[in-house]
Amino acid sequence: MSQNKNSETAPLLEVKGLRQHFAVSRKFTVKAVEDVSFYINPGETYGLVGESGSGKTTIGRSIIRLYDPTSGEIHFDGNDISGRMDKKTKDDLRVNMQMIFQDPMACLNPRQKVADIIAQGLDIHHRYQSQKERTEMVAEILHKVGLSAEHANRYPHQFSGGQRQRVGIARALVMNPKLIIADECISALDMSIQAQVVNLMKDIQDETGLAYLFIAHDLSMVKYISDRIGVLHLGHLLETGTTEEIFSHPVHPYTRSLISAIPNPNPVLEKSRVALQYDYKTSGLDYDAGTLHLIGGTHYVRGTDADLERWV
Amino acid sequence: MEKKEEVLRIENLHISFKTTAGTVKAVRGVNLTVNRGETVAIVGESGSGKSVSAKAVMGILAKNGVIDQGRVTLSYYRSPQEKVTREILEMKKEEIRRHVNGKRIAMVFQDPMTSLNPLIPVGRQIMEGMIWHYNTPKEEAQKKALELMELVGITDAEKRMKNYPHQLSGGMRQRIVIAIALACDPDLLICDEPTTALDVTIQSRILELIQKIQKERDLSVIYITHDLGVVAKVADRVNVMYAGKIVETGTVNDVFYDPRHPYTWGLLSAMPDLGTNDERLYTIPGSPPNLLHEVTGDAFAPRNKYALKIDSRLEPPMFRISDTHQAATWLLHPDAPHVELPPELRDRIERMKKEAGYHESE
Repeated sequence: MSQNKNSETAPLLEVKGLRQHFAVSRKFTVKAVEDVSFYINPGETYGLVGESGSGKTTIGRSIIRLYDPTSGEIHFDGNDISGRMDKKTKDDLRVNMQMIFQDPMACLNPRQKVADIIAQGLDIHHRYQSQKERTEMVAEILHKVGLSAEHANRYPHQFSGGQRQRVGIARALVMNPKLIIADECISALDMSIQAQVVNLMKDIQDETGLAYLFIAHDLSMVKYISDRIGVLHLGHLLETGTTEEIFSHPVHPYTRSLISAIPNPNPVLEKSRVALQYDYKTSGLDYDAGTLHLIGGTHYVRGTDADLERWV
Repeated sequence: MEKKEEVLRIENLHISFKTTAGTVKAVRGVNLTVNRGETVAIVGESGSGKSVSAKAVMGILAKNGVIDQGRVTLSYYRSPQEKVTREILEMKKEEIRRHVNGKRIAMVFQDPMTSLNPLIPVGRQIMEGMIWHYNTPKEEAQKKALELMELVGITDAEKRMKNYPHQLSGGMRQRIVIAIALACDPDLLICDEPTTALDVTIQSRILELIQKIQKERDLSVIYITHDLGVVAKVADRVNVMYAGKIVETGTVNDVFYDPRHPYTWGLLSAMPDLGTNDERLYTIPGSPPNLLHEVTGDAFAPRNKYALKIDSRLEPPMFRISDTHQAATWLLHPDAPHVELPPELRDRIERMKKEAGYHESE
C-alpha cells in the first residue's frame, strides 16, 4: 500500500552492511549479524523473519543502539546513527525510534503505575508544561490503544497479557515516533489477542503514518502486517522483497522451507503435508561467499552466481 | 475405526484453586475419552483450564489445587492378558508416582529449557525412568537410551548421551524430552504445547516425529495447544475449551469444516489466512472471563454477538449434532433462531473444502 506513495522519498531507515559481533573470549567471537543491508520507507512495515538464533533481535537492538555495531552504517531520518552520536542526534533517535518488547510481563516496571511508565519518555524529554497536560497526554494515548483513562493509576500486574502489551504500545507511541521496532511483540499472546494487537498496530499506522520494523518468527502474521519482508538465517539476510514477491516466488531454499512449514488450518490437506527440510550444513551453501542478486522489482536473493542459476 | 478401546476417560472433572483473592474455578465439568492409538487435541486460550486438566490426570496439580469432583479412569495391560482399570483420583500420590507417572502416562512439557535437569547429562536423564520403574540393569538401559535417541532423530547419539542440556539446541532438547517420555513405553503421551517454544521449521519436524512414533507403537496422544494449525496436522478428534469447559467436541473434520459454537467460529476466523489478502484480521472482542467470579449462564456470552437472552441465565448443555460431534451453545436448541455462519468464515470453509476435495458424505 505504501510503495507508490513513497517511491520518490528517501528511506526513513537505511542499514548498510551491518555487522554485529560479540567477543565471547579472546579466541571465540559470535558473529550474530553478518553484512545485512535493508531499508524502510516512511509509513511502511518491514518484517524480519528467521528462526531463533538468526540474529533478528540483534538487528533490532543494534538499530536502536542498545548495542554498538561492529561495522556498517545505519542512517535514520537523515542522520548517521551507527557511530558516536552528538547530543542532538541522540535525542532525535531516542524520540523518533521506539521499541515494543516481546514479553509484556517482563518489560513493564512492576513498581510503577501505568501513567508513569507511559510518561517516562515525556518526563525525560520535557514534553509538557504542566501536570495536567501530562495526565491528558497519557489519557489520550491510553484511549488510542483501546484502554481507558482510569487504567492510568493501576499497576502492570492488574492487567491481562493483551492489555499489558497495549501499555507497551502506548509507551512507544506517546513520543510520536517515526519508527517502532516491534520485537516479537505478539508471540507471547493468545491467538485471539494477537489479532487484536495486530489490528491495533495497523490502525495506528494508518492514522499516524509511522513505520514498523516487525520482528517475528511467525510467517503468517508477518504476511498480514508487512509491506516488505526480509528473511534471516544465521545472521545473513538471505532474501528480501515485497510480501507478494517472497510468498509467491520464494527463491532461496531456506525461504521455501520456511514457507512450506507454515501450518495450514485445513485438516485434510495438512495431514498429508510434509514440510521441506533444509539444513545449512548439508545444503552445500556458503552464505559468506554469496552476494545479493536482484531477481526483479525489489526482490533480492543472497547466493553465488552458480547457486542462483540452480534456483531460478 | 474398527475396535475402540478406551485408554483414558475423564468424567465431570471439577478443579478449583484456593488463592488469596478467592477460589478460582479453573475446570468446570470436563468430559473426555481417549482411545488406543488415537490423537485427541484440546484447544483453548491460556487460562481455559486445558493444562490443569492434564495435570490432574498426572496427579501433579499445584498445592493449592483441589479436585472438587469427577472421575479419571485409566485402563492398561499389566500383561498381554491382564487388563487393569484404575481410578486415578482415588490413588495416593506415591502410588500414582510409582505406577502411573512416566510408566503409563508420560508428559512432554512446553519448555524444554526448564523440563530438563541442567546438572545431569541427557543420557542419564533418559535412563532414569527405566531404572526407577523397571529396575532395568544399567547396561540395558544405556542401550535402550541409545535406541531412543536414534528413534527421535538425534545423530551421533553416543556422543550426545554425555552432553548436558545447555549444550543442545532447543529442538534437540525437545527431542530428548520426548525420548525421556517414551523410555518406559507409556500407553498415553500428553503433550502440553510441545512446539510453542520452537521455530516453525523445527515444529513441523517434531510433530512429524511424534506422529511416526505414535503409529509404530500404537500410542495414544493428547495434544494441548492453542495453535489450530498444529491441531489440523495431528489430531483425530478436537475438543475446544473455554473458561474451564469443553464447548465443542468432534472429529477434526467436524470442527474445521462444520463448526457450530460461536467461540470456535471466532478461533477459526482469527487465524491469519494465507489464501486471502484481507486488510484486517477478525478478532474476538473482549477477553476471557475471570474465573474468580461465579459464571452464570454461558461464559462466552459477553463476547458473543450471537448470544441469546437465555445465555445470560442458563448454561447451555451439550447438544448432539452427530455421533461424533457435540457443542454447548443454545443456538443448537430446536427453538433457537437460525444463525448463519459469519460470511467470511463460510467463504473460507468453502474454499478449504474445495482445496481439500472434501465432501459432506465422507
